Amino acid sequence: MTDPTSEPTQPDEKATAPAETERTAYDGSDVLVDAKGVKVHFPIKRGVIFDKTIGHVYAVDGVDLQIRRGETYGLVGESGCGKSTLGRAILNLEPPTDGSVVFDGVDIATLKGEELRKKRQDIQMVFQDPLSSLDPRQSVESLLFEGMKAHGIAKNAKEARPRLVELLNAVGLPEAALAKYPHEFSGGQRQRIGIARALSVNPKLIVADEPVSALDVSVQAQVINLLEDLQDEFGLTYLVVAHDLAVVRHISDRIGVMYLGALAEEAEADDLYAAPLHPYTRALMSAVPVPDPVIEDRREQILLTGDLPSPSHPPTGCRFHTRCPWRQETKCDTERPVLRVPEIPGVGQSHRVACHWTEQIEAGEITPHEVAPQATDLSDLLDGDASLMGPASISEAL
Amino acid sequence: MSNATASSTTDPGTDTTNVADRDKARRWREGGSEPLLRVRDLRVTFQRQGAEPFEAVQGVSFDVHPGQTVGLVGESGCGKSVTSLAIMGLLPERGNKVSGTVDYEGTNLLELSDQQMRDKRGKDIAMVFQDPLSSLNPVIPIGLQVTEVLERHRGMSRKAATPVARELLDRVGIPDPDRRLRDYPHQLSGGMRQRALIAIALACQPRLLIADEPTTALDVTIQAQILALLKELVEETGTALVMITHDLGVVAGLCDEVNVLYGGRIVERGDRHDLFAQPRHPYTNGLLASIPRMDAPRGQRLVPIPGSVSDNLPWTSACAFAPRCSQPIEVCTQKMPELEEHHQRALRCFNPVEVSR
Ligand SMILES: Nc1ncnc2c1ncn2[C@@H]1O[C@H](COP(=O)(O)OP(=O)(O)OP(=O)(O)O)[C@@H](O)[C@H]1O
Ligand SMILES: Nc1ncnc2c1ncn2[C@@H]1O[C@H](COP(=O)(O)OP(=O)(O)OP(=O)(O)O)[C@@H](O)[C@H]1O
Ligand code: SF4
Ligand SMILES: [Mg+2]
Ligand SMILES: [Mg+2]
Repeated sequence: MTDPTSEPTQPDEKATAPAETERTAYDGSDVLVDAKGVKVHFPIKRGVIFDKTIGHVYAVDGVDLQIRRGETYGLVGESGCGKSTLGRAILNLEPPTDGSVVFDGVDIATLKGEELRKKRQDIQMVFQDPLSSLDPRQSVESLLFEGMKAHGIAKNAKEARPRLVELLNAVGLPEAALAKYPHEFSGGQRQRIGIARALSVNPKLIVADEPVSALDVSVQAQVINLLEDLQDEFGLTYLVVAHDLAVVRHISDRIGVMYLGALAEEAEADDLYAAPLHPYTRALMSAVPVPDPVIEDRREQILLTGDLPSPSHPPTGCRFHTRCPWRQETKCDTERPVLRVPEIPGVGQSHRVACHWTEQIEAGEITPHEVAPQATDLSDLLDGDASLMGPASISEAL
Repeated sequence: MSNATASSTTDPGTDTTNVADRDKARRWREGGSEPLLRVRDLRVTFQRQGAEPFEAVQGVSFDVHPGQTVGLVGESGCGKSVTSLAIMGLLPERGNKVSGTVDYEGTNLLELSDQQMRDKRGKDIAMVFQDPLSSLNPVIPIGLQVTEVLERHRGMSRKAATPVARELLDRVGIPDPDRRLRDYPHQLSGGMRQRALIAIALACQPRLLIADEPTTALDVTIQAQILALLKELVEETGTALVMITHDLGVVAGLCDEVNVLYGGRIVERGDRHDLFAQPRHPYTNGLLASIPRMDAPRGQRLVPIPGSVSDNLPWTSACAFAPRCSQPIEVCTQKMPELEEHHQRALRCFNPVEVSR
């Protein structure tokens, strides 16, 4: 569209900084979010009187990633791998235990008061469950106006009105929606309201945590298309956190695959799906069912055995070694692999993998073997499983 | 459906890899076997005080043959769970009305007493639910929950049942079963709980297993394990399986026959290969076009289905899907299309998607 050389606004002092060896070689000028060595550890407390810390949940345990302006970065991984926590750490809603997050050139942790409030305006969040994230007692008008008022974009509702109508328009809702309340809308419409609210303060980055997973299958595409349109229209940058690989692949330019608090692999979406390199990514990709019986019958699955280990007791060395079909006797259980660009012909600089044996696996020098399944004892973790339909006890019903 | 076509002599030429397992179910059908389960015009109406009665299931009919895997697929609220609970006799005692027939080998399950139904559930029909935690008893160890079922339905003593329970846990892939027998449900991961639930279901040696979204709450790599396990068990034991899910991908790989539900009624049915290759109902077709696929070229825009289920018209006087349909004609809003059967396919639509290719 525009000539890339005519971008006048890029400060170039960063461009001259030498690229670090283990990191990708971008010059940094187009980086909106730069997360370095981010860790978020939650203490596990027990005991009535002493409230003793008996351990930690290593929810995010050393993540480096960069999000470039205007791109969509997708974060995938299975439940509990730390995707949401990382997203929240980038928003500074969850202060990192260690590491730093630089947003738009500023380390957010150093900001206070007015400055912090201003920066916060630039990063907005869209949540999984639109109903629980919208106050049921507020009308749509008041929900949308709230943020604008707080950030001084409009003083009163009347002044905000044209902007509110414009926002609703952008997300495909009629003006009449302003007077209604969240419960009067369907799930998809509520998600549109959530998106409109995020947009209302002109953010630079939107962190969308599972933006479509609570929606009906037939409605997901509407919201995915909407997010894409808004990105084009407003030049937004997205961090999309989701567990659905097909959704993430569709929407993202680049993707980071998380496993137990760390990135296992990161690549351009097309590269990742065409040639996943990390053993975990390979297994993950091969596990996704495709709505096509012909493909399903031919699909070669890499079936992982056993449970995901508990994030309160992550395995030593490579976090994946307890389930990895390519695991080797040396290194895998003792040395933690760094995220690095592998030396594989045809694999570009933007493709990073955290596996000791990527090159050998890709060359076929190492072949997969059987793995004895291990179960994970969850006694020390809190269980948030919501209760769904089903009798209280199956063995009694039977 | 029972008239087998002339081409029934198996054609080994099809280049799919695992035809054998699926052929079993096909053979059942082509051998003209009687269905194991015959659901006819099943209706469930919820009545709450002060509220309009709500018909969640509006005349659902389908067959399940021995050894066959039948899918019920549709989005949230279309009546999948209510259908399965009605078949199992597990709907709440009050506040609903069930009609139609659920014929299990000549017995209408809807006419059985509670005690008789309980017996059937143990011996012939078992089920697995989406959330294993709420369907396991939280204060009883897993092992005991399996042995209880063995004692009750297979008349075993506690002593005889324990090694069988251990074997069952092992069979469903629970590592270190001796130790796990003593574990409580909350100590197990979601995937292991689901395996335990499957072990309990298998303890009854059922001929029919109803699985309601058994993998929806699980991670995709764990889902793959559970689906592989179910497939293997069905193949090995010849148990018929009713698989309830909203995931068309799961159905595509697992089910011999697929029923697509919309708003409490079946709108399309077919062999999985036919159905996915040639969806005729605009809803089925629309769904397939709207979901992102792992194998589609990137950058392709999704084609959404407009609106939501809250736009549905009442089936009694129209096609419920008409307001969201990409190709409605006049009659679609004037009366209800009937479910019509043609060549092993069933379709409820006035203006089906053209057959291409
Ligand atoms: N406030 C908290 N206190 C203690 N533990 C937490 C807290 N928030 C998250 N955790 C734990 O940290 C781990 C990572 O959680 P997180 O929500 O980031 O995972 P996720 O990848 O988003 O998973 P999901 O797909 O289920 O949303 C989990 O084990 C979770 O139980
Ligand atoms: N006990 C009940 N009382 C009143 N209405 C009910 C009851 N159980 C279910 N319903 C309604 O019946 C309809 C069908 O529900 P059902 O649980 O069968 O949907 P489903 O297809 O299983 O959806 P999901 O994918 O969300 O599980 C829904 O509109 C639901 O609200
Ligand atoms: S480092 Fe070892 S255990 Fe980890 S993914 Fe690579 S081969 Fe598997
Ligand atoms: Mg999350
Ligand atoms: Mg259900």
